[in-house]
Amino acid sequence: MWAEFRYTLGRLRGQIIGWSIGLAAYGLLMVSFFDSIVNIEGFEDILASYPQEMMAFFGDFMAIMTPVGYLDIYYFSYMTVIVGIFAVGVCATLLVGDEEKGILDLVMAHPISRSAIFFGRWSGFVVATMIILGAGWLSWAIPVGGTGLDLSWIELLRPFIPLLVMLVLFGGLALLLSMLLPSARMASMLAGGLMVGNYLLTGLANMNEDLKAVVEYTPLHYFQGGKAVEGINGQWLSGLLLAAVVLLVLAWWRFERRDIRVGGEGGWRLSWQRKLKVNAG
Amino acid sequence: MSIKIAIKTEGLTKSYGKVQALRGIDLEVDEGTIFGFLGPNGAGKTTTIRCLLDLIRPDSGVVRVLDMDPQANPVDVKARVGYLPGELQLYDNLTTRGLLRYLNALRGNQVDWDYVRELANRLELDLRRPIKNLSKGNKQKVGVIQALMHRPELLLLDEPTAGLDPLIQQEVLHLLAEAKENGATVFFSSHILSEVQMATEKVAIIREGEIVEVADTKELINRSLTRAHVIFKEPVANSALDGVAGVTVLSRDDGLSVMLQVEGEMDELIKSLAALPVSQFETERPSLEEIFLAYYETGAKEGK
Repeated sequence: MWAEFRYTLGRLRGQIIGWSIGLAAYGLLMVSFFDSIVNIEGFEDILASYPQEMMAFFGDFMAIMTPVGYLDIYYFSYMTVIVGIFAVGVCATLLVGDEEKGILDLVMAHPISRSAIFFGRWSGFVVATMIILGAGWLSWAIPVGGTGLDLSWIELLRPFIPLLVMLVLFGGLALLLSMLLPSARMASMLAGGLMVGNYLLTGLANMNEDLKAVVEYTPLHYFQGGKAVEGINGQWLSGLLLAAVVLLVLAWWRFERRDIRVGGEGGWRLSWQRKLKVNAG
Repeated sequence: MSIKIAIKTEGLTKSYGKVQALRGIDLEVDEGTIFGFLGPNGAGKTTTIRCLLDLIRPDSGVVRVLDMDPQANPVDVKARVGYLPGELQLYDNLTTRGLLRYLNALRGNQVDWDYVRELANRLELDLRRPIKNLSKGNKQKVGVIQALMHRPELLLLDEPTAGLDPLIQQEVLHLLAEAKENGATVFFSSHILSEVQMATEKVAIIREGEIVEVADTKELINRSLTRAHVIFKEPVANSALDGVAGVTVLSRDDGLSVMLQVEGEMDELIKSLAALPVSQFETERPSLEEIFLAYYETGAKEGK
């Protein structure tokens, strides 16, 4: 498992560096903008002139003048979707990517259990995500003392924890779908679509009361975002973590029992697609 | 002392949807032998090998590898097996050495690197080169090295010489022979029938998911039909060889030469020829390839 973990991190090295630099640069930009934005004369009037729908989409948009609101709206409100691209992309190909390339066949012929491969690679993904989020956190934590944000390092760290859990959850979803669907591409498209759909639904629920009942059944409803600066909602976090664990266990269960596919051996289609092919033949 | 069995399958079946890839494979491979597994693409060779390694799960049947159940003890089985996939793919972002180190790490870092270097030298492979810069043949050499580098008790090789030049093919066959001398069992599939004929002691022929023949390679060749070409000093009657047991006349040339097919012993034919003015007599054993094709032609006719 250690070897798989180490080599997964190695394979993700480029993505870790790229995402870390991107997230850190964006964080530094946002930190440096805070004082300028809150000091703009008449900024509250400008905000009040924004379309009501746009204001409602992000929740309490006027809170942007406070450190917590600024952090929440300008950073954490969409960070799940942004870094979620990394999480979904990596997890959809974590095992199936190698399977599609034909490399998993060779790897799995070595004396390492399916569980060790699965959890070794999963751990690699989680640590890679932590490194990327760590870079994001540092980009806020290091310069924060020189700004009017008035937040401690620990307070800044808090919202990154639910963000990590959300990414692990959507990563777990992508991994499970990759175990069930015929291709990694299909799994990443579906998991990514669900993630973006959930994001839009959560925003729209702020404008439409009828959607609130629906959105309560989706994970992003329980994502605290920047508000976690004031304290983490343990129940919400535990619920999200539990959901992530359930997805992970289902993916592992499926991986333990399924055939490892290679070109020409079938099994790359959904059952209805196979029936269509047989009927066409 | 009884001979130990390295591989044993009983009634092994595997389907992909409606396609039945294996239809009850019964196979026994003795320890310490080199065993050839012949069949065209899609016959079930790769599927059988992948069942032995628990990469795919059979629908029914029994599989034992080195007296273990690969599904119940996959790690123990794989620790003692070296595998070369038929469609070998490698991580392009690593060097050859980096890839072998990764695979060695999966084996718990037990490989003797002096032996790896020796294998690389014998196969003329530079371990420093990135995988992405390797030709198909050089990638195949990496595949052969990773299968052999931990000195496994059982080698499962799917087309081990594919893409290699003839000299390196010979070297690979030498390596397999050496592995056998050191007590390993070698089970390999190949399309190159001449090398199976040269390297293996026993061979199984698989056709459409069924084993149609398992025999000692030499016996299989010996017990099959022999062709005989006879040239006479003077024309002989067309009926001269009629009624000779096991002999079929394939062609005649003005009574001066005749091409025969002989089934079984040559004794009757030689006695009959003794009474005729024979100038030259040549016999020719069919190659394993011809025997193999005969099985497929028979199968195709039966299928029709």
